[in-house]
Amino acid sequence: MKNTINLSIDENGVAELLFDMPDSPVNLLSSNVLNELEQHLIGMSENKTIKIALFTSAKDGIFIAGADISEIADLDDEKTSYDKVKRGQSILSRISVLPFPTVAIINGACLGGGFELALSCDFRIATENSKTKIGLPEVNLGVLPGFGGTQRLKRLIGFSKSLELILGGKIINGNKAQKLGMVDACVPVGYLDFKQDSFIKSILDDNERSKILSKRYKDNLLEKYLPNIILYFAKKEVMKKTKGQYPAPLAILDLFEQTKDVRLDEAIEMEATSFAKLSITQISKNLIGLFYTSEALKKENGTDKKIKTHPIKLTAVVGGGIMGAGIVWLFSKIGLSVRLVDQNYGAIGNAFKFINSAYQAIVKRRRLTKREVEIKMGHISYSCDYVGLKHADLCVEAIIENREAKKKLYANLEAIVDKKAIIATNTSSISVTSLAGDMKYPERFVGMHFFNPVNRMPLVEIIAGEKTSPEAVATVVELAKRGGKIPIIVGDCAGFLVNRVLLPYINEAIKMFEEGEDIERIDKLILDFGMPMGPFTLADEVGLDVGYKVGCVLEEAYGKRMKVANMFDIIYNQKKLLGKKAGKGFYIHSGKNKSINKDVKDLVTMQHSYNSEEIVDRMMLVMLNEASRCLEEGVIKNADYLDMALILGTGFPPFRGGLMRYAQNRGINNVVVTLHRLADAYGSRFEPCELLIRMAKNNENFFEE
Amino acid sequence: MKERIAIIDGLRTPIAKAGGKLKKIQAESLGAHIVQELVLRVGIPYSEYDEVIMGNVAQPGHSANVARVIALKAGFADSTMAYTVNRNCASGMESITSGAEKIAAGTGDIYLCGGVESMSNIPLLFGDDMRIFFEQLFVSKTIGQKLAVFSHFRPRHLKPVIGLMQGLTDPISGMLMGSTAEILAQDFGISREEQDVFALASHQKAEIAREKGIFSQEIAPIVYDASRGKIMEHDDGIRYGQTMKALGKLRPFFDKKNGTVTAGNSSQISDAAAAVVLMSENKAKEMGLEPLGFLRDFSYAGLDPKRMGLGPLYATSKLFNQTKINLKDIELIELNEAFAVQVMANQRAFASKFYAKKYLDRSSALGEIDESILNVNGGGVALGHPVGMTGTRLVIHTLKELRRQNKQTGLATLCIGGGQGASLLLEVV
Repeated sequence: MKNTINLSIDENGVAELLFDMPDSPVNLLSSNVLNELEQHLIGMSENKTIKIALFTSAKDGIFIAGADISEIADLDDEKTSYDKVKRGQSILSRISVLPFPTVAIINGACLGGGFELALSCDFRIATENSKTKIGLPEVNLGVLPGFGGTQRLKRLIGFSKSLELILGGKIINGNKAQKLGMVDACVPVGYLDFKQDSFIKSILDDNERSKILSKRYKDNLLEKYLPNIILYFAKKEVMKKTKGQYPAPLAILDLFEQTKDVRLDEAIEMEATSFAKLSITQISKNLIGLFYTSEALKKENGTDKKIKTHPIKLTAVVGGGIMGAGIVWLFSKIGLSVRLVDQNYGAIGNAFKFINSAYQAIVKRRRLTKREVEIKMGHISYSCDYVGLKHADLCVEAIIENREAKKKLYANLEAIVDKKAIIATNTSSISVTSLAGDMKYPERFVGMHFFNPVNRMPLVEIIAGEKTSPEAVATVVELAKRGGKIPIIVGDCAGFLVNRVLLPYINEAIKMFEEGEDIERIDKLILDFGMPMGPFTLADEVGLDVGYKVGCVLEEAYGKRMKVANMFDIIYNQKKLLGKKAGKGFYIHSGKNKSINKDVKDLVTMQHSYNSEEIVDRMMLVMLNEASRCLEEGVIKNADYLDMALILGTGFPPFRGGLMRYAQNRGINNVVVTLHRLADAYGSRFEPCELLIRMAKNNENFFEE
Repeated sequence: MKERIAIIDGLRTPIAKAGGKLKKIQAESLGAHIVQELVLRVGIPYSEYDEVIMGNVAQPGHSANVARVIALKAGFADSTMAYTVNRNCASGMESITSGAEKIAAGTGDIYLCGGVESMSNIPLLFGDDMRIFFEQLFVSKTIGQKLAVFSHFRPRHLKPVIGLMQGLTDPISGMLMGSTAEILAQDFGISREEQDVFALASHQKAEIAREKGIFSQEIAPIVYDASRGKIMEHDDGIRYGQTMKALGKLRPFFDKKNGTVTAGNSSQISDAAAAVVLMSENKAKEMGLEPLGFLRDFSYAGLDPKRMGLGPLYATSKLFNQTKINLKDIELIELNEAFAVQVMANQRAFASKFYAKKYLDRSSALGEIDESILNVNGGGVALGHPVGMTGTRLVIHTLKELRRQNKQTGLATLCIGGGQGASLLLEVV
């Protein structure tokens, strides 16, 4: 096997440890690489000719991307895990005791274990390369930095900054890293060569070296004497964000508390113990699984083959409602020219209100300057007719859910745009194949289903109709990725994936309400399960009109099992309630507060209290049953993607790994037995689908263990 | 000119009163909006344009060569060239005639030309006293020196120079544009009341035209307050139901004692942008385009800065000599209303043998202008006169009006601060 690390020493005594993992685009700190590193470090410590050592990478845009995650995923007992992380710690500690100064040259991704290695060096130089990303994101995988990173970072930049960085799993650029004191210098990449040389000279000069060191973090009184205050607020923030459902952030807080006044060697011992405990939890396994899924999705182009996409520069969005406005915003944000078409200028003005507020939110976070926003917004043109669309490379339709109106619109568009231009629909429920029915070039037509609000929801369902070309699919997949979204290919069925699975869940909640269960109790239990909000709150947020209409489409397509709850009909059609946007739904909304709507509550006179487990089971298993059908019918490629789609589209709690992962962790057999029991008690919609029955019988699983 | 230049299409923003709806939109954004909209509507790909030429008078300090900023903001590629022209009030015509000359010379094929002015955004400046104060402060090193400089400071140093007024003052004669209009009133003996009658007619004609949707045919609406979702669709200078009584109440602005020129019978200070697409007639045929109309020929002329208002007389006389066309051939005239009295002075000078001799050294008059073909939909008095933009608007409006009336030949002419005139001969078909 080829080596990853190459050591060279020049005539001036400058040693370079060049990381270049064979047959890989990245460098990882795997066990093998660590062993190799250890050998080098032992040898170097004896070598009297070395005056200074540099840690560098031969990879483009990568320093060291982190530890080998598959090794963490494989850990299943605490002892092995502890031994493994202890060994990593001891190897990296060898760097810090070398008899000469060490420098990490960070020109590219420097994450997790990679940054822990850099932290073990005496000095760090970063570059302004946009690929230079530095951070300790372990918390996102349900663990904490285990190679001494928590303690070394704390000593380098202080208690509160390091805590914030590690708890948030934040990844930052070189300049920001310098500002925080994580690196000693940050230089433009074109200057790296000679800046590196002058930096080496400075380090070897006592006077200059002390100047560099004097710029580093010094004890701050609050941190020194009252770290508990910092911990108290950090804990409050963590509880608000995670409701205590994720153990890693809590373990990080505990570790920071325990190691307040502890020597480095003892402190990293505690870090190893904590890592070992976290690394074997199911939640960590779930989060690592999701990480792999998201990496796999990044590589998907939407088709089975490599394909050239249609270049997109000029775009158009027809329909400036809340979805259309969101799509216009997204396209303009990534530097495309967008033409917004709506029936009147009043509607266009309203779309601009949304677009402007979405941009102002970014300006407030300082991600864009006012000047940049003005230019981006300037690339939005608008019109009440179809003039000016001639050279549009992509038109997205986002008008009302009316088949005939949409078809008429496509005919108008086809009369103007080039035959290669792609036409996409943002329909949330109508079959893409059926919409393409009368089109002259149906191969250009594709579904691109965004979620509301577009600026916050990362999922885009991509739907190919029967005649849709792979080029059209690959083009919108690429575009969605450019917009920072996660596109997932789903089948062309009513409701596609997310709405098809979510609607039965909302329906089930309303049915329980009909049967006498308390609205707020159901919401609370589902919130505790980990969903971002309860089903009634969600229905109000989405809009009862939207929910009801999608419900009807689904009932029409799937029949009895998706029958819209009677009470939904009454609340929307008789009570004319619309949800949050009109202030009244299941709740009365005023500003950020909400209270139960007595008018709705009083519609049901009987009272019946189910036990908590029964409520959660009915809600989750009715979704699971439908999701399994989707898998069975090939609406989605695999269970991993299904889990990711529901996490992104419905907020299903990531710590549970996803709906299918939840089913598997619970046991497929248990799921089937429960479904049978629920079917007997509440109706045939709970009859487990073929796939689940077969899996239970054959003892199969959705995922490999 | 040997060959006619085709004007494929033209478009403008609504004209907003300065300090009003478009005040927060800088010249380059106004220009970019209209250029982008025109390019998209015309449907010629960005890459086929050779250059963008924009007229602008009060070139904003933050966007030197505002045309280039406009081009890039409007979606042109980095490789597309752009430059700004300034011939004062004719800047929006100068851009068109510059493009035409380049096409005629074979320099390029397709030009995007226009004009833009944000008179709301012309800055207030520090005066010389204040500038000298700052200079001395910057060079003084010791605290003592600094204190000495401060001791010379007087509050009156803070009095700003109003950039707008400075721009509207002729530096040779030292006269405000309105004062040159007063000279014409004296030269031709035109009374305050006559001027007000003219101004009233301008508003009335514009009101009718707006109601008929005539201006909407050349306007691309613009979002002017995104946070409130506000969009401007119409010019806002027209006073609906304007009366002689209301006009009569205004006090003369330029000569407070004996003057006749008021804010009511002068053009308004405004913000707007306009643009057209130019190419040779052959190129248009080759591309299968039906042009809005053609630029047949044009003339610029110079005259006494104190009587700059007579610019149309001089330029049109030169144009007629050049083309052997005379007033009888002209079916429609847009003569910019910088001041009511200035249009009227031109009417009188056109008609009179005496003035032809006096000003033009011509033996015969140019001819009497038929009022029914002059500024048929009102002009600068009612709509406003965003200086760098007006020239382009007149060209677009003349061509569209010729088409509406099914006529063929029109004249777009204006007076230019500093003592010049411009006159463009336009044709449809």
